[in-house]
Amino acid sequence: MTQETKVKATFPSIEWFNALRDIINVDDAYKHIGTCDAVVGVKLPDAKKYFLITFEAFEVLEAKVVSETEAEDSDFWLEMPDARWQEMIKNIGENGKADLNHTLNTIDLEDPEGFARSNDGYRRDAFYRFNQSFQHFFDSSAKIDTKFA
Amino acid sequence: MADESPEVPEDLAQVANEKGIPLDLMRRALALGFPAEAVKQQIQTPGADAEQAEKFIAEQERIRAGGEITIPEELAKAAAKNGWPEELIKRALVLGAQAEMLITQMEAGIRPDQAERFIAQQERMRDAAARGEQVLDLSWMHVPTEWGIRARPGKKGLTVSALNIGSYGDVPDKWPYQTEMPRGAHPIPGIPAMGYSIYEKAELWADNAADLYEEAVQRRWRPATDIPWDSMEPLPDEIERAMCQLCTYFCEKGLLAGDIVGKWLPEMSYGYHEVKLYLSTAEFDAARQFEVFRKRALSNGGGMGIQSPGYFHRAIIDTRVWTEASAVLHILSNSFLIGMYQVGEYVAHNEAESLIFRLCMQDVSRQMAYGVQHLKQFLLRKLDKRAEVHAYLNKAEAVMTYDEEQDTPRREALIILLGGGVSKEQILDGVRKLEYFKRRWVRGYVARLAAAGLPERRDRLHPLLKKYLEEPTVAQAAA
Repeated sequence: MTQETKVKATFPSIEWFNALRDIINVDDAYKHIGTCDAVVGVKLPDAKKYFLITFEAFEVLEAKVVSETEAEDSDFWLEMPDARWQEMIKNIGENGKADLNHTLNTIDLEDPEGFARSNDGYRRDAFYRFNQSFQHFFDSSAKIDTKFA
Repeated sequence: MADESPEVPEDLAQVANEKGIPLDLMRRALALGFPAEAVKQQIQTPGADAEQAEKFIAEQERIRAGGEITIPEELAKAAAKNGWPEELIKRALVLGAQAEMLITQMEAGIRPDQAERFIAQQERMRDAAARGEQVLDLSWMHVPTEWGIRARPGKKGLTVSALNIGSYGDVPDKWPYQTEMPRGAHPIPGIPAMGYSIYEKAELWADNAADLYEEAVQRRWRPATDIPWDSMEPLPDEIERAMCQLCTYFCEKGLLAGDIVGKWLPEMSYGYHEVKLYLSTAEFDAARQFEVFRKRALSNGGGMGIQSPGYFHRAIIDTRVWTEASAVLHILSNSFLIGMYQVGEYVAHNEAESLIFRLCMQDVSRQMAYGVQHLKQFLLRKLDKRAEVHAYLNKAEAVMTYDEEQDTPRREALIILLGGGVSKEQILDGVRKLEYFKRRWVRGYVARLAAAGLPERRDRLHPLLKKYLEEPTVAQAAA
């Protein structure tokens, strides 16, 4: 019996998001959910690290390091304290996917300012329109051997 | 008794008799070289009578006898404007084309070269008929629509948006046809009107409609097999009853949304198929919403709950224009519905409930996306209608808040689910969380209206909604 070898990557880093992109882009289950078109910012304010992820049609087109302003120049950005990011990623790693208390929606509701934020009420709704794709995206980080910076 | 003259085919003679048109007129039409089938179609046109037929045939006989072809002034003006040569117009008139029809074709963007091919084919048909030859009527092959189109698939395949190229991408501000003719096809005279009432782009259009249609088709899901129903386990009685009460409400909302869209679809003319296509999927989404919540209510030891008062339902059904219906259903009602779906996912007790609510959030957010984009373009094109939109929302917000006050079962079900039970502490916790979520729902509603071009709505909200914007958002939902 062979054991699956996980990709190793450190969160947060562009290597970690690229590893996730590579996993998603060969994942038939992700494609089965349907097309997803959104530009999503990721903000870790404590570490001052910012990323921009482009979802297009059936794939994740690109993940890149950006400035805070560029991260906010998106349909919406995901923002929470670094410790909460770690908690979410760890929870996914331990359960194979987010448990009921760590879904993107649950985390969003628990934060008065929201986990998903935007300067535009229409563009922010992309968080809902493609929610299952984004959930599947982050759930797939269970396939990464994640270390935390 | 009908004239049994042999040169008039039996079916043509029958129609002529029914319309009270003398068979002698039919003989004269055939002698001019018009195919019997074309003559029959022409006299079947609503309003066609013996007097009109006599006038038309006499004019054709005069032309054939060498008389001058007179181009009506209005037709001449349209021809000059659209670059149709006078000679082409005369050939069309000789073939029996009506001036009104020619003007309509010019205004629809038919080019002179396209018209020339069509007319030449008609002339060949006429000449062949005059020689007594049996030929296929292939005039439809020379239909003067834009030809040679090759739409190409992109990353998402061959989408509806990808078809909007050349003249097929021209979406007119006003759709001139009252029939079921698709945009880009060629009209024929005499087709009865279908009774649509929406012919203006501003009254239904949204730039994202074609993409939302594709998105809805791509992201479709199946409640029967996509939901992990076996993840459900027995819940405390009050929790199961609260969840089933919410499911009952969501079932009502699903059927209502389907009824509203179903009522308005037949009002929308065919020039704006992108919107009709998207709304067809929205109707299916509404059916699926009903389906999945009925399945949830009846699959874990519970059952259906109590009916809601329905004041707001009736207010939406009673809307008089589509923009009002869309703003109230897609933006106001759905902003609160998606808030309740979020809460449903937040309090989910198993993977089945969690996934149901996430997938329903996706479906209803597409409706919001259409509603916001439609209202946006409506306000841009109808500058004088801003106050009217506020009036729609004034009325709908008032009824919705009243309905909410009256719907005790829904409010209490939410409190029980958010608090986790019916103990005093749990109820207090549930009440606190519900107030917290209502602030979020109102903020979301106002943000969507701002995106639609109505930012001042936050100052005009119904007082029972506005209070949620004025109070500080200090409460934490997290237990």
